[in-house]
Amino acid sequence: MNGRRIGALTLRIVRTFRHDRRTLGLIVIVPLIVMALIGYLVGDSGKQALRIGVVVPAITPGGAAAPVLAFQDRLAHRPGIEVEDVPSEAAGRAGVRAGSLDGLVLAQATGVGPTASLGPITVVTPGLDVQVETPIAFAAASAAAEVRGVSLTPGDLPGIAVERVSLPSNVRPSTISYAAPAMITVFGFLFTFMITSVSFLRERSSGTLERLLASPIRAREILTGYMLGFVPFASIQALIVLGYATLVLHAQVAGPIWLVFAVLILLVLGTVNLGIALSFEARTELQVIQFIPLVLLPQVFLCGLFWPIRTLWPPLQWISKLLPMTYAVRALREVMLAGAGLLAIASDLIALAVFALAMIAVGTTVLRRLRV
Amino acid sequence: MTDHAADLAVDAKELGKTFATVRALDGFTLGIRTGEVLGLIGPNGAGKSTFIRAVAGLLSPDRGTIAVLGRSPGMAVAARIGYMTQSAALYDDLSVRENLAFFGRVYGLDRSTVHERTDRLVRLLRITADVDRPVHQLSGGQRQLANLACAMVHEPQLLLLDEPTVGIDPELRHRLWREFAHLQGTGTTVLVTTHVMEEADRCDRVAFVADGRVLDVGTARELRERAGASTVEEAFLALRRAAGS
Repeated sequence: MNGRRIGALTLRIVRTFRHDRRTLGLIVIVPLIVMALIGYLVGDSGKQALRIGVVVPAITPGGAAAPVLAFQDRLAHRPGIEVEDVPSEAAGRAGVRAGSLDGLVLAQATGVGPTASLGPITVVTPGLDVQVETPIAFAAASAAAEVRGVSLTPGDLPGIAVERVSLPSNVRPSTISYAAPAMITVFGFLFTFMITSVSFLRERSSGTLERLLASPIRAREILTGYMLGFVPFASIQALIVLGYATLVLHAQVAGPIWLVFAVLILLVLGTVNLGIALSFEARTELQVIQFIPLVLLPQVFLCGLFWPIRTLWPPLQWISKLLPMTYAVRALREVMLAGAGLLAIASDLIALAVFALAMIAVGTTVLRRLRV
Repeated sequence: MTDHAADLAVDAKELGKTFATVRALDGFTLGIRTGEVLGLIGPNGAGKSTFIRAVAGLLSPDRGTIAVLGRSPGMAVAARIGYMTQSAALYDDLSVRENLAFFGRVYGLDRSTVHERTDRLVRLLRITADVDRPVHQLSGGQRQLANLACAMVHEPQLLLLDEPTVGIDPELRHRLWREFAHLQGTGTTVLVTTHVMEEADRCDRVAFVADGRVLDVGTARELRERAGASTVEEAFLALRRAAGS
């Protein structure tokens, strides 16, 4: 071991970083942004409550409304829960289906008059998001335990029936079924972004892009060629993830497979152009790699995988609405868990198409600027 | 000899281009005759590559006018120009044949034409043995020959060669210049940049370039005679001194 040689190498690396201001900037900015986001998301401040509908029982002499009212009152005081009165069970169910309510909690009493006690409780949720279903069911169970004067065992939800209205059957999907839509989306996005941005950086640094720009090829032809080139590989990767998740891990795919690929292809088309546009902001492959956490992690955190979007601080909800992964994960959950068809996810497909078109416009502008 | 615009493959007048505070082109005027091999000779940073990029339509001058094959540079004439960049701008993972096929298709050639021209070019440039090897396995000289082949595959009327002989051995340099002369025989106009003064004698005409402008244009012999110098290098240095740079 020669200290002088090792020192020279260390100093060379430090000097390289000192001259590479962009990498230095990203080293500082990326963890700050990501940590600030994680700090907010795992903390309690600024979170929005889940909206739960309850049907207020009719108060009649000698009736059984008291324990139900006591339960609803306790439920309204659970942290992270906002209780909203709905006129009827049917209206509440309609609200859950439409998305204006995160859940509906139906309580019944057993017995009448002074002997009445809290009976069975049903939690009605869409069933597409475990991050919504679990806190509602837990809030209902703990409110019921208070009314019944019993203690709640962690992990146990006694007397709570969960009805998942958006699912073809009421069986709770496995954890992998909940995670599979996000896994496919993250792999599709990450693979496409990484390969496109590095490929295009190489295209620039090797001079082949300059050669292409001196040829009769048009900017939109370059972008279209890139998009068509990446779609098959992203699809193969999605097939592998999907195949493994369903055949080996037994993830659920209730809807048509072709819709899963339609969602993925739209995501890939936008991501190819995002990768191309951002690659122009990088001079080296190291800088491109630094972009990955910046474009990926906020999307993973804000797409509803870990925290329901509705509960996020409103500005973050707005940001999540601008991110393609939000729509891809939501659409894939609908297709894979609820068995949704084309019409049911049309708005998500449109959002992904708008993202793709916006990114194509950005990519085209960036390429055209290189010609002057 | 007066040049008529109709005889010129490239007609540049008073071009100016500034990058930040650097004047890359500063009143650059040059006419390149159709069918000639014109060498742009000058030191690094003289403006040679900037001019060649303006001819290729890759940058717009801030001022002045330029006509390439009778049109404004850009898409309208791009298909008639071949551009060999300074570094071997090839796809490393593809073979020479695959690179040629790709660039041929980009220039609109059909499959059979690409196939026929690939065979002809690799024979001409004597890279037949390497045609199916990935570019990253080739030596620097072989890469330059493959680079030249890709610039020629669509048989351009105007070939732009940016420092094609940098970093290659004398034997290969000799072969490259022979190919440029061969191209001239086919009616192709060749604009070649170099900072190697000895290469001036291989060109029909030479333009001395420094500080973003053309100092003088003529045959190597004319330039030497006008400067009263025995070598092209001395003539260039005398001109620079006279120009006060």
